[in-house]
Amino acid sequence: MKAIEVRNLRRVFRATIGVVRRKIKEIVAVDDISFEVYDGELFGLLGPNGAGKTTTVKMLTTMLIPTSGEARVLGLDVVRSAEALRSRIGFVFGGERGLYWRLSGYDNLRYFASLYHVDPAVSRKRIPYLLDLVGLSDRGQEKVEGYSRGMKQRLHIARTLLHDPQVLFLDEPTIGLDPVGARELRQVVRNLQAEKKTILLTTHYMFEADALCQRIAVIDKGRIIALDTPEGLKTYVKDLAVIEFEVYGVPSNVLEQLRAQPYVHTVSVENRDQKQALLIHSPRGSQAVPDLLSMMNGIRIGNVIVREPTLEDAYVRLVGGEA
Amino acid sequence: MNLKTLRDYGRVIFYAAEMALRSNLTDSFVLFGILVQPIIIALLAFWMLGDRGGEYIIFVVIGSGMTGLWTSCLFISGNSITQERWTGTLELMVSTPTPVSVIVIGKILSNVLQSLASMVLSYTLAIVIFGYVPTINQPVLFTISLLLTILSYACFGLLISPVFVLNPDVQRLQNGLEFPVYVLCGFMFPIALLPGWTTPLSYILSPYWAARALHATSSQWNGLGEVALSWAAMVALSLIYLMLSSLLFKRLLRRARLDATLNIQ
Amino acid sequence: MKKFILNLRLFWEGALLSYIALFHWLRPAQYLATMIWGPLASMLFFVFLGTYATGSDSASFYVIGNALQTIALSGIFGVTMSIGGDRWSGTLPYLFGAPANRFMMFTGRALMHLLNGVLGAIIGLTWGVLLFGLDLGRANPLALTLIILVATFSTSGMGLLMGCLSLITRNVMFVNNTVFFLLLVFSGANIELSRMPAWGQAISQVLPLTRSIASARRVIAGGSLSSVVPLLLVEFMIGMSYLLAGYLLFRWFEFQAKRRDTLEAM
Repeated sequence: MKAIEVRNLRRVFRATIGVVRRKIKEIVAVDDISFEVYDGELFGLLGPNGAGKTTTVKMLTTMLIPTSGEARVLGLDVVRSAEALRSRIGFVFGGERGLYWRLSGYDNLRYFASLYHVDPAVSRKRIPYLLDLVGLSDRGQEKVEGYSRGMKQRLHIARTLLHDPQVLFLDEPTIGLDPVGARELRQVVRNLQAEKKTILLTTHYMFEADALCQRIAVIDKGRIIALDTPEGLKTYVKDLAVIEFEVYGVPSNVLEQLRAQPYVHTVSVENRDQKQALLIHSPRGSQAVPDLLSMMNGIRIGNVIVREPTLEDAYVRLVGGEA
Repeated sequence: MNLKTLRDYGRVIFYAAEMALRSNLTDSFVLFGILVQPIIIALLAFWMLGDRGGEYIIFVVIGSGMTGLWTSCLFISGNSITQERWTGTLELMVSTPTPVSVIVIGKILSNVLQSLASMVLSYTLAIVIFGYVPTINQPVLFTISLLLTILSYACFGLLISPVFVLNPDVQRLQNGLEFPVYVLCGFMFPIALLPGWTTPLSYILSPYWAARALHATSSQWNGLGEVALSWAAMVALSLIYLMLSSLLFKRLLRRARLDATLNIQ
Repeated sequence: MKKFILNLRLFWEGALLSYIALFHWLRPAQYLATMIWGPLASMLFFVFLGTYATGSDSASFYVIGNALQTIALSGIFGVTMSIGGDRWSGTLPYLFGAPANRFMMFTGRALMHLLNGVLGAIIGLTWGVLLFGLDLGRANPLALTLIILVATFSTSGMGLLMGCLSLITRNVMFVNNTVFFLLLVFSGANIELSRMPAWGQAISQVLPLTRSIASARRVIAGGSLSSVVPLLLVEFMIGMSYLLAGYLLFRWFEFQAKRRDTLEAM
């Protein structure tokens, strides 16, 4: 069964710009996207900031009306059946807002349980269970204002599980968290998967999508540019090897020259502390190294590594080296 | 709407009321508005009107209590949706199966009941200052008037809270709406002192009729006719406010979903 | 001399900055609401309440009292905001880290609110003339101007003290509102001082504004400048005392904050 079905979904925002001469500018946030998420699947929506991930989630959670196209969640249309849908889905938006800071975590959950019409007898049992699930059992009675960002985020996840929704939308749940907090949160997401929830997760971290999701849609500038399993996405660069040169600055004319070679697919430079890494994708792999080195005559080069492409390399290739 | 839904809504109203109480108790702005300011107004009015004797003491108690009710209605109930927007919880509220208006009803009822503290406090102040317990002329009719007052203030709050969210410019003028209503509604002096052209304005404000009913049943008894008229006006205006309010709530939710304006970041 | 010019510049920069901040916070409509509509509405309330108590002949008593009370609005709230604003915006540590003369920095910020206060009183009296038939015909203009200036000075002194309190307590708006309303009662803006009990009269003697209001009533009724000079001198001294208390509190706060490293936490 399909938990989420999206057909040609599009959303345009109008913004007025300029003070004196007011002009209306149209911004296409989501541009004709289609995808499906299967029951019980953990589906990732991966893309750089501003790609249209949040707008998509808002439309799917009935918070925003699409400009055109249609979307169904659990078979219910997100515009026409918004009311019926709301009690069956849950969502979390990244960030610290949306909780009552002066109340304890427990009281926050109790209040939202009443808004979701959860029977008090049920919520008395469910709240402690959820606090435990997100690792907040021992802090539940403390005021939210004393929570760390990661704890607030996990409380949000507990909040969204109060009414036992079948489909969950997690919009950049690890944004702004420190590495430990992010790891704890990812563990919570894995626990949810064990509870047989259908989850749509958005993120701009490749490794997060790789570690959690069964399938990933890569979205850029409002369009889906690839949709596959993590393994499948890696085949986009399967035929290529990644050659990594440790360098200390590369003149742009050399980069141009490298790019011009027929056996070079992409050239990108990453800053790593005082050094840089020059990454070249090429089907020729290690055989290309001598030719490449000859072009970089006079440039100081450290280690040279030839390796298999990762999902990150696939992502870089898909979004055109901008990630 | 079935019994289960009603019970669920009832529970939401109760919890929302409890939340409003908890947050107001720690909010110094609220405490000033419903405790300090009405008490100071009462103190001043006791000294200004004190010579007029016992009847004026209860008049001041009721009148200053009404100022507390209005201040609370304007600033606390009026902000009950705006405030959720600031905390980022409005978006979550909209997405629950409970209509936002039900949650707001709970918060506003709680605010109105809390702001009755102004009246209780000025009553106590009167005893402390004058060493004399003011009495209510018509206790039964007064109680009915008070219940209708609570209802009509709640409806007024339900009307202005969506107005403030939909029109930030109006919200900026909030401060300037506090005293004019004190004046127009005859809380502390009869509106006969005002120029005639303001009278229609008074008539469309339910707090005016509330003040009239409460003053009439506590100290200025003029027969049942006047009280009945005030009650009828309160009920009629409250119904009108409710109708306008439900239209505004619909517009608010629709606009939020069209423009994504629920969340300010 | 160089030091003097330096301090003068500091004073003006503080003044300018606080004014820009004020207008950033208040949009034009809001400024009008705060400066014109708000004071008018509360004046109407108290004048009607007063005439209900003591008859319509007494309107000018309340009009004058409430027009001068308007000064306290700028004096207390405006000045507090311009000082407390630093704490809210997190710029306080930089302020304390600067070598500048704090007193100049501090009083410079009050200047624009002084002007606002003067404007408020004039607007208030104008409403009195337009709406309640207040007669300024017999008033000595010089004396009235002096009264308004002195009242502005003394309420700003109190505002500076409140502003310093705002660096210490979180509930400064609560304190400010309460002080403003207490002034409304005890300054005699709405009641003959003799009608208050002895303890109330004692309070009114140490507050700013009490003597300015009394002087304004006397001058508008035709009294001479010399008849109010003694009152105004005392009013000036009261303002000075609050100002000094505010300054000392400011220095103490700075010292404590540096000693305990609580600048950011406050």
